[in-house]
Amino acid sequence: MAKKNKNLAKKEAIKGFSISSIYLVYAAIFWGYPFVWLFILVFSKWKFVGKPQFVGFKNITRVLSDPLFWKTVVNVFRFMLYYIPLVLLGAMLFAIALNKLKYGKTFVTLSFLVANVSSGVAYSIMFSNLFAVNGPVNRLLYNLFGVTIPWFSSPSLAMFSIALIVIWKFIGYYGLILYAGLSAIPESLYEAAELDGANGFTKFFKITLPLLNPSIVMVMVLAITLAFGIFTEPYMITGGGPMRSTLTPMMHMITTAFQRMDPTYAATMAVFVAGISFGMVWLVRKIMEREVDLV
Amino acid sequence: MKTKKKKKTGNVILHIVMFALALIWIYPYVWLFLASVKPSAEIYTRFWPTKFTLEHFKFILESAERMNRPFVRAFFNSLFVSVTVTLCVMLSSAIIAFALSKYKFRARDGIFNFIIFQMVFPGFMFTIPMYILIRNLRLLNTYSALILPSIMSGWGIFMLTQSFKGTPDDYIEAAKMDGASDFFVIFRIMVPLNNSAMAIVGLFTFIGIWDNFMWPLIVIQDYNKMPLSVLLATFNHEYGAYIGPIMAGAVIQTIPMVLIFIIFRKAFLQGISMTLK
Repeated sequence: MAKKNKNLAKKEAIKGFSISSIYLVYAAIFWGYPFVWLFILVFSKWKFVGKPQFVGFKNITRVLSDPLFWKTVVNVFRFMLYYIPLVLLGAMLFAIALNKLKYGKTFVTLSFLVANVSSGVAYSIMFSNLFAVNGPVNRLLYNLFGVTIPWFSSPSLAMFSIALIVIWKFIGYYGLILYAGLSAIPESLYEAAELDGANGFTKFFKITLPLLNPSIVMVMVLAITLAFGIFTEPYMITGGGPMRSTLTPMMHMITTAFQRMDPTYAATMAVFVAGISFGMVWLVRKIMEREVDLV
Repeated sequence: MKTKKKKKTGNVILHIVMFALALIWIYPYVWLFLASVKPSAEIYTRFWPTKFTLEHFKFILESAERMNRPFVRAFFNSLFVSVTVTLCVMLSSAIIAFALSKYKFRARDGIFNFIIFQMVFPGFMFTIPMYILIRNLRLLNTYSALILPSIMSGWGIFMLTQSFKGTPDDYIEAAKMDGASDFFVIFRIMVPLNNSAMAIVGLFTFIGIWDNFMWPLIVIQDYNKMPLSVLLATFNHEYGAYIGPIMAGAVIQTIPMVLIFIIFRKAFLQGISMTLK
């Protein structure tokens, strides 16, 4: 009996491994092979034809001294400067309001979430027309206040406008993440605090905010990751302009690789961008993450 | 007594504000839809059209064909690619997640950790090397270029493994006692018992592929093989003056995503809270 069980376990182990190895084979081709190529690209010069030529750290020093690349990185930081505070605050208010809502919760949730399932191309077209110089939003502003705003055509405003439409898309999604965290906080904590005479202000800063920490960090990480990968909106709406104020690393990478035919340099930039993004996430975790214990 | 009354008015105001905001949030969609069914001259000037017209849809579905911009075909390209990838991901994830959650073998934790390790790297790092792989396989400008890189998903396997772990082994053992095969156990027991996790994986995969833009933009140059997102974007760049038809195209591009969201809204909501764990 024991021997039979052992045999069965062995058979099971072989079966389990052979099924899982399907994924390993797939990952070797569609993840491992590109990974190796990434390394080759970073250290070579190559224009899609012939053999890659080893050039050592030349691509890396080129990235470090390329003002255009760093401009795109600064653009991402400008995007985050608008995007993260506004979306975080908005999502927080949304979550708190949703928590207090008695009627029509589903309607409100779905209205905000349906923005999140908009297609990148379609919603870029939609907003570039809504916010066009003579579009409906400016018409309304003109009728009400006698001014028009050059949403996407002013270098100092274009990135802010792009941040606005991404906020439109993601506020419901992030808000629901925070809402899930909010509803996990036991009501008894607030009641106990009230007995001790805590006002709404103290309750928010001493109970809600600390206990919501994991959800907030999660939203921050999602927002940072999104910021460094942004491509469709500026590509569709501004084409990186005006005056390259909305040129993102992704757009720069794609044009470098496929229009200037310089894949090695583009791949090196991709590694840098991934590194910076990773560093930002690490920093946010380091600064913000707190151990939370529910007693 | 007074504070109670104050609270009540506050609550009423909160409801009004939230409903107003909800309407503002769907306003762009309503505007887009109305823009696609009103005469071109009214798109920027009127919210409610003086008359409804289907000329823009007719244009994009018929006349664009003659301009060598086959939108009907592009719609079916997108549908074919998205459905194929979604089915492949659901199928492969279920089978592999079953092995990773219900079989005991030495490399198991190693493989699971490898999948988590993979998810740390952002996809854009691999865009250019992946292009080289597809080129070396001579698959540029084919449907395979859109399908093959996504038919298995580490994220999908991860989600289903986590979910499958929660299903008691008793069900499986009872079925095996009755002589059920592994495939029967996976597709008749595990999948139905974990249908919400399955729906989440399917939903997010479908939306991700349907909405994918950068990758097909790079690998597909042939107008006949373009997914709708890329064809719509190129049409928007080349024929920006045809605002009406572009709006109609944007509506067609949006409808499947919104539809699938409304059908699977429950899974979507669960998916958001699940990503927390």
